[in-house]
Amino acid sequence: MQSTLTSALASQPQQTSRARKLQLLGILSGFTAGAWLGAAEAPTKLVSIGVSPLVISLIMVVGVFLARWSVPALILGTSSIRADVRRAPHLIIWAILAGCLWAVANTMTIFAIRDVGLSIAFPLWNSNSLLGILWGFLFFNELRQAGLRRWLGVLGGALVMCVGAALLAIASSSAAPVAHSYRGVWAALGAGVLWGTMYIPYRKAYLTGMNPLSFVTFFTFGELGMMSALAVSYLGLAPLWRQLQSARDVLFWLMLGGFIWVIGDLFQQYAAKYVGISRGIPLSNTNQLWGLLWGTLVFGELHGRGHSIYAQVIGGSLLMMAGVAAIAFSSATTSEQTRWKQAAHRESQRYNIAADYVEASMDGRQSASEAKPSRTAIDWLLVAAATAIFIYFGATARLPQIQLNWPAALALSAASLALLVLCGLTLHRTTRFH
Amino acid sequence: MPNETAPRQSTLACILTDIHFWVPLGVLIAGLLLLRSLS
Repeated sequence: MQSTLTSALASQPQQTSRARKLQLLGILSGFTAGAWLGAAEAPTKLVSIGVSPLVISLIMVVGVFLARWSVPALILGTSSIRADVRRAPHLIIWAILAGCLWAVANTMTIFAIRDVGLSIAFPLWNSNSLLGILWGFLFFNELRQAGLRRWLGVLGGALVMCVGAALLAIASSSAAPVAHSYRGVWAALGAGVLWGTMYIPYRKAYLTGMNPLSFVTFFTFGELGMMSALAVSYLGLAPLWRQLQSARDVLFWLMLGGFIWVIGDLFQQYAAKYVGISRGIPLSNTNQLWGLLWGTLVFGELHGRGHSIYAQVIGGSLLMMAGVAAIAFSSATTSEQTRWKQAAHRESQRYNIAADYVEASMDGRQSASEAKPSRTAIDWLLVAAATAIFIYFGATARLPQIQLNWPAALALSAASLALLVLCGLTLHRTTRFH
Repeated sequence: MPNETAPRQSTLACILTDIHFWVPLGVLIAGLLLLRSLS
């Protein structure tokens, strides 16, 4: 009894240090997600053709689908994905559900931008972080016993970020709001609610022990299925095919945008896993800041605009950074993490999942019963097929005739790559991508 | 280890009685209806 107590006391600082490491990893993942989700907008800016936004969205989702199968196969191997699914098969339903929610939300943003402009639409759907905080608190014990300081840090930080996002969106929007304003506002709010709710399946999967790399492979079936259904039902099969044919020259850029988006989303998944959705969503919402950097520095979007616009951009960026800092410094306390573990225990009991698997996964390590991930011929085949498809479309792509600030593009690409390497290595060293 | 002593519900029953399933599903259906009314 005494020796058990002694070993428990001895392991406590070790556990606290591990928990702190995972929190920092989650915060770093959130920042990296923001950079890559923002960079995903860059290839789409190269495309200025007269095809329906639904078609653009569908082609991006095809790029997403290819990336969601090839990247996990390359990092861990499909054997690891199969093992995860055997342990928690019920989560496939949540993954598909989350993919459907994403597709509907993404379509709504197209309507929102068309009807009220980006300046009103973006802050409205960015309110998804506030809904994420609510769902995290209600369903997954997030921010329980967190104390007033952390509540203020997370909620206050998310609110400050929303104000900052509004300022940035107003500054970056060139078009004045057009007709059907109520319809646009409803569409933007709807997108925010759908995206905020999409994080329920994310958090459920990671509390249950599923690896983010496994979750996204099934998520993408919902994403591609729903997006295809929406495109066919809104446009019709024949017009959809004609538009795809006419967009042949730019398919590569749109698919590349989808690929880059997946990199960002993978880090977003790790952020949701290690800091929870209440902190992970606002951190990855910094993508707006990165999108603005790409737009202004590389594509010269605000060139020649008045001083007040620049003041709005600087003010909005500072507010967003202040909000991010407030959230980053409000990491979960030991007592809050105990409540997360209670939520994980509830899931393992409900779905009869081995407790050691759930516990090991929450701790970012492999459980004793898990086989070491290994790659097979199928994985290399998946990677080769995805690469071949990208090379084919790359070879047929047309170079856009557009003025770019290449030094700025290289600097931003280098910064995003540096974050990718730093976060990827940290994830590998700390969790081996678990 | 999984709890093997208590009588267990089937996985389907667990899913259908899980609020984490109904909330996203309800939001998805509402979203599809909203999308239909917007277009």
